[in-house]
Amino acid sequence: MDDMEAEDADDAESLFVRPYTITQGRTAPARDDLTLITIVTTVEPAPGRAGTRGLQPEHRSILQQCLRPAAVAEVAAELNLPVAVTKILIDDLVGLGRVTTRPPIAMAVGSESNMTLLRAVRDGLRRI
Amino acid sequence: MVFVESDPVGGARAVTSPAAVKILVAGGFGVGKTTLVAAVSEVTPLRTEEYMTVASVGVDDVGGIEDKTTTTVAMDFGRITVNSQLVVYLFGTPGQERFWFMWNDLVQGALGAVVLADTRRLESSFASIDFFESRGIPFVVGVNCFHGRIDRDEREVREALDLGPEVPLVMGDMRQKSVGRDLLVSLVEYLIATGR
Ligand SMILES: Nc1nc2c(ncn2[C@@H]2O[C@H](COP(=O)(O)OP(=O)(O)O)[C@@H](O)[C@H]2O)c(=O)[nH]1
Ligand SMILES: [Mg+2]
Repeated sequence: MDDMEAEDADDAESLFVRPYTITQGRTAPARDDLTLITIVTTVEPAPGRAGTRGLQPEHRSILQQCLRPAAVAEVAAELNLPVAVTKILIDDLVGLGRVTTRPPIAMAVGSESNMTLLRAVRDGLRRI
Repeated sequence: MVFVESDPVGGARAVTSPAAVKILVAGGFGVGKTTLVAAVSEVTPLRTEEYMTVASVGVDDVGGIEDKTTTTVAMDFGRITVNSQLVVYLFGTPGQERFWFMWNDLVQGALGAVVLADTRRLESSFASIDFFESRGIPFVVGVNCFHGRIDRDEREVREALDLGPEVPLVMGDMRQKSVGRDLLVSLVEYLIATGR
């Protein structure tokens, strides 16, 4: 929380410009199917393949973080970058085959699989 | 549940990712959204920001001059891991009406919502309730008691908020995990009961 407030004190313009410098000026991902809760998981490369050359530090951070699957929103929070910028970086890694993404569960109203899911959610919530 | 994932490139090993669902926590400013998310989340609530570009009214395209202002909207969110295959994310949504354009994105794929209300100013939650009702998004209502007492009874609150008898309502202190848990469980039970 504290560093968040420190950021707020920064010059608003630099705050806005910096993230899009990281994306090399791009303001939208090539594909547009990432949501806040799309789960991102790093693909463990086969031995001897796929180094981190050519990747930006932010890309490497994502690969590190998503060794344990994380939602797009969690990645953005960890990078301290806006969601829109984070999506572009994740999309780069999807294009390189370095992460897989899993979209949120699509809910089909009244379906049996939906009921199974809802019961699992309810039971999980009861245990907290 | 077995999930098939996209085939990664070059003989790489795929890790099975959990699937995610989302529940929104809405209500007026200072009503306890962040408090609830913090109370039930297994991690310290995280915060993320989204840019919002607002075009000035009546602007025309003159000489490339940008007549837009950019501001950021913060969202608090927390996580509850149900099991290795299923994670629930809770998003505390910006309550101010001027941020509501964002809600259209946030409600995409949400199971439903918890609307928080403060008995001292119930009207600050009218807009959230209208929003979810108009979009057919199931919601439950949590009423907090800031003075350690409930100065209105449930019937009065339902009447003031114009809630149907079927909408679950929980009164309590949002700083308590058990209150947040009861709200979330009542939402999911409501979804099950109504066949959502
Ligand atoms: N007494 C009491 N205080 C609360 C309750 N819920 C929230 N608060 C306090 O009210 C303040 C605002 O809550 P917050 O969660 O930040 O509101 P938000 O703007 O909706 O996110 C915080 O200081 C909380 O500790 C409650 O049920 N009872
Ligand atoms: Mg808040």
